[in-house]
Amino acid sequence: MALGTARRAERSAPAEPRRDTSAWIPVLLVLAATFGVVRAVDPAQIAWVRNFLIVFGSLLVEAVPFVVLGAFVSAGIEVLVPASAFARIGRLPRALQSPAAALAGVTFPVCECGSVPVARRLVAKGLAPSAAVTFMLAAPIVNPVVVASTFVAYRGRDTLWVMVGGRFLLGLGVAMIVGWVIGVRRPQDLLRRTTSIEAHEVDDAEPRWRRFFGHLSGDVVFMARFLIIGAAIAAAIQTFVPQTIVDGLASLPVLSLVAMMGLAYLMSLCSESDAFVAASFVSFGPGPQLAFLVFGPMVDTKLTALYIGTYNRGFFRTVLVTVAASTLVATLWIEVVFG
Amino acid sequence: MTRWSPLRLGTGLVLAAWAALFWFLLATDRTGLFLSTRTAWLVPSGAILLTVAAAGRLLSARSREPDALSRREAWVLGAIALPVVILVAMPPVTLGTYAVGKRASFVGSSIGSSVRVVSGPLDFVDVAAAQSFDDASRALAKRAGEPIVLDGIVSADEGLPPDEFLLTRFIVTCCTADATIAQVRVVGAPPGAFDADQWVKVEGRLYPIGREVLVAAERVEAIPAPTVPYLTP
Repeated sequence: MALGTARRAERSAPAEPRRDTSAWIPVLLVLAATFGVVRAVDPAQIAWVRNFLIVFGSLLVEAVPFVVLGAFVSAGIEVLVPASAFARIGRLPRALQSPAAALAGVTFPVCECGSVPVARRLVAKGLAPSAAVTFMLAAPIVNPVVVASTFVAYRGRDTLWVMVGGRFLLGLGVAMIVGWVIGVRRPQDLLRRTTSIEAHEVDDAEPRWRRFFGHLSGDVVFMARFLIIGAAIAAAIQTFVPQTIVDGLASLPVLSLVAMMGLAYLMSLCSESDAFVAASFVSFGPGPQLAFLVFGPMVDTKLTALYIGTYNRGFFRTVLVTVAASTLVATLWIEVVFG
Repeated sequence: MTRWSPLRLGTGLVLAAWAALFWFLLATDRTGLFLSTRTAWLVPSGAILLTVAAAGRLLSARSREPDALSRREAWVLGAIALPVVILVAMPPVTLGTYAVGKRASFVGSSIGSSVRVVSGPLDFVDVAAAQSFDDASRALAKRAGEPIVLDGIVSADEGLPPDEFLLTRFIVTCCTADATIAQVRVVGAPPGAFDADQWVKVEGRLYPIGREVLVAAERVEAIPAPTVPYLTP
């Protein structure tokens, strides 16, 4: 409802962009030229370009289906679920909302790219922002697919249950802390204004199925831009920064945690596969490995682009600082006890 | 009275372009260049979801108040379609020796790895387990001298004699962003016969020396890059 209102407001805004029926012609020419140049020059002959394109492509090929799936869920929520349902949830005691939202993540087996559009829609429909953000951050960590992949990656090791249980509980805990810090912000304080493409995608007077596809395509197009930017930055980092860069810090108590969080941020791995990479850092104890597994699905390069595109200024800073601080404290404690 | 909305047509066509990319990956068997066998299902799923999304948007592209497409919106939609153009235009390539230096070594699961190593054909995942865990390493040591066949890419090492090279295989869990490496040292190869990044099949005998695994080559031949170039743990 709030998004719809924002769209109507944008429709009547005076600063209407210049419109031109032939606007797509130069765009098509550039795309055609790009196709021709890539075919003719084959930039993949250059080693680093090839590495960049493969990683960039694979990040997108893996993430886009989840974004689209998230957009289907998001559009379904917008069209099928009345705002009054979220108002009822909003009347629950705040102390219950965040834990319930975090546990709801167990039922949503997608990685972090899919949870962002859903959380955005939940906020727009009137769910308390703290609960929606808690859900968004917890779902990529506590869903059963991620729990199973963490189990498989660590099975046979002494730290199996520390890693599986620790990741689940820390995922819940850190997400709830962020939700608590987000606190009582109003939806309009959290969400960025819709873009012109989104604003013109949906006409509230149209039949439900048309509105569904309007919201769906609007969400996909909105998220895709930021996903592409984030994937490009992550691929560039993966191309130029070796994973072994943090090896020398393995024995340093706090720096090893910070290093693994930094690595998780740079690598932008899917939460369903990151446990296998974390497990390869055998010189690091369970604390730093958990820091990698909890921090990465909540804050990474491609998510930064998605967060900045979706939420107002300050949201990313709040999430970054809160997730980093709470993950650091919790994993330091785990390293002391189990390391 | 409804008319075509250029904006809706534009978004519908961009979604259709992305759907076409996923169908293209399926039709040309290129899924394995980006994803592991474990996540390969994402490509048909993405193709179907995007096709439904594109069809729905195009079927609902007529509007009573159609919006024109501004130049800025056209460029935004073009930027979203750009990766599709690049990925379709680029030839089928795999991660190569450039990536070897950037990746950590694969560490398998210790449970079951020693059991796998005890008998049956050996592969890179077994070698990686033996390089990581004592029990798997001991199990592999007992099979020293046994024949082994491995496919991988040649990755040169400046410190190696001319008849030796490192044979590398990338191990991918979900997508190439999480790729790790498994390596053996091949000795007794024809000097200078193979270039870095070249796919080869090595037949020889296995000799674990501590955590390093050597393959005394009996036959090394160039092979085309496999359809599924990465191993899945």
